[in-house]
Amino acid sequence: MSEQADIERSAAEIRVQPLLSARGITRHFGNDGGMFSKASAPIRAVEGVDLDIASGEVLGVVGESGSGKSTLGRLVLRLIEPTSGTVSFDGKDLCSLQTGEMRRFRRHMQMIFQDPFSSLNARMTIGDALVEPIALHLGLRGQAARDAAVGVLERVGLHADHMKRYPRMFSGGQRQRIAIARALASSPRFIVADEPVSALDVSVQAEVINLLQQLQKELGLTLMFISHDLSVVEVITDRVMVLYLGRVMELAPTESLYGNPAHPYTAALLQAAPGMTSVKKHILKGEIPSPANPPSGCVFRTRCPFAIDACAHTVPTLRPVGPDHLKACIRDDIEL
Amino acid sequence: MPLIEQAVETAARRPVLSVQNLKTHFLTDAGVIKAVNGVSLSVGEGETLAVVGESGSGKSVTGLTVMRLLGRTTARVVGGSIEFIDRDGKAIDLLNLSDMGMEKVRGHDIAMIFQDPMSSLNPVFTIGNQIAEPIRIHQGYGKKEARAKALDLLRQVGISDPESRIDSYPHQLSGGMRQRVMIAIALACDPRLLIADEPTTALDVTIQAQIMALLKQLQAERNMAMIFVTHDLKLVDEIADRVAVMYASQVVEEGPVDQVLGHPRHPYTKALLECIPSRRDAQGERRQLHPIPGTLPNPLSPPSGCRFHPRCAFAADICIASDPELEAVARDHVTRCLRWQEVAL
Repeated sequence: MSEQADIERSAAEIRVQPLLSARGITRHFGNDGGMFSKASAPIRAVEGVDLDIASGEVLGVVGESGSGKSTLGRLVLRLIEPTSGTVSFDGKDLCSLQTGEMRRFRRHMQMIFQDPFSSLNARMTIGDALVEPIALHLGLRGQAARDAAVGVLERVGLHADHMKRYPRMFSGGQRQRIAIARALASSPRFIVADEPVSALDVSVQAEVINLLQQLQKELGLTLMFISHDLSVVEVITDRVMVLYLGRVMELAPTESLYGNPAHPYTAALLQAAPGMTSVKKHILKGEIPSPANPPSGCVFRTRCPFAIDACAHTVPTLRPVGPDHLKACIRDDIEL
Repeated sequence: MPLIEQAVETAARRPVLSVQNLKTHFLTDAGVIKAVNGVSLSVGEGETLAVVGESGSGKSVTGLTVMRLLGRTTARVVGGSIEFIDRDGKAIDLLNLSDMGMEKVRGHDIAMIFQDPMSSLNPVFTIGNQIAEPIRIHQGYGKKEARAKALDLLRQVGISDPESRIDSYPHQLSGGMRQRVMIAIALACDPRLLIADEPTTALDVTIQAQIMALLKQLQAERNMAMIFVTHDLKLVDEIADRVAVMYASQVVEEGPVDQVLGHPRHPYTKALLECIPSRRDAQGERRQLHPIPGTLPNPLSPPSGCRFHPRCAFAADICIASDPELEAVARDHVTRCLRWQEVAL
């Protein structure tokens, strides 16, 4: 019963004051026709996503490649501009900020990338790579900046001796620790981690997941954790958003999503992932359609084993099916 | 000793490939990398052997050595034997086969698929051409017959409407479809052995599930032997009969999948299993992940004694001093650990 109350309370907190909130956020890519080229159908990468992340919450974003999860991550940081929709951080509308204001704002929101081999500058020592954001965002100089750099390095399990070394001298796991240290250097409140453990071996992956979890708790970080690996997402997140062709299919607390998936796509993903379920009722047929030409109605209907005629005509809205548990599927009469 | 050999070789199935004490070294400017150091493996008809390990463990190099696909200037096979038993039951020594002889085996008796289908397909030929090529070379079919067979193969690997796809170029297909085409090429000559090197690593989970189901089905239909090289223990559980776990160029444990994954007898296998995020337990509690301390050893100077001792929770003085051999722990189940009888895993 208390668990129920907990869920309701956390839901209430989110509604009161989310740290990050997006409304109807949409991004289309493609050319709109220049002097010599014809306009082509835009790639609808992200289509009308609403999103609230509470302070201290870890939100997972899952989906196949082409589902728009990385684009969404970049949109909420305003690393790319939305075609329409708004993003606000701590009550402030990010899209209204001027370049300079936005740059100052960036200290609160950082990103960790998948490949620690390409996200670190090979010609900068670890120390320089860490001092740069500290000087830029926190205004520290000289010894003070170096001390702060050693501080974040120690937070991620490395030490002062590593400051003078170059990225090539580190293993993949250590580089990812350095990338995390760099993201932490400006003391951000919100971090988008885009497939942060996908390029790592399992033994190293476990190490980085544990580190992220520990840092999140210690620093009270708010995290958007983007991954295609459902088992990693289950371990680290509080809530999960399932994307397909840039649209939200399901959004629910992690336990509820993995225990009782409500959308056919979520169920199919869980069944496809090795080691997640022993029953493989439906191996999803076909592949994700082109985001330049998404199916009418429900975008998932072309691969859905439960699709009916109505699915082609109605765009399903996200609607509640349980406490905090939303799905975008018009059918309630199906057994997943 | 004879007990071990008995354990390694499963007598039940007709053997297809037997690798004994294989040693592949790379000569680099920095020194000699012993990428495969005394690996023994065998696989029989209709059987799937998974070779699992982290990057740098030597799992891919083992597969490439069997196919003799390593460049001669840098890679040297310095010891061991690779014996392949052909359709007529005749044993062929692959390491002493001439280049011409090997070309007859490769793609015909033994085929291989790789992780990245885009870089293993030729971008300037249609997929129909590429599937027909081994059929024409190895089986002497004419152009028309080879094309008809290619169409049939495309159908078998689950490509819908193969007539409209056969003249496509690789760039016109999705990743999952390209991997299906690779499988069609590999299976074109009905090989007795398929070596699949991380065939689903570059694919989405939904496509991965499709390819895994396809490989299983095709293998059963053809009673083919398969060596499935992967880093993912969860896939091993789904596809393989037996599994060999590699660490630092050696097999550290080998046996039936349910035994090795269910009751591991080598500390490394156990440690790897504890790194995998798994479902929450009955109370909905998150299970703590236990990373393996330390890092993979430098291939130029691996540790003395047991290669795993610097990272092993059970290491004792004896593990530093002496090299462990594979020892039988049960029928068909071997481990390379000096202390397997004492430690409770």
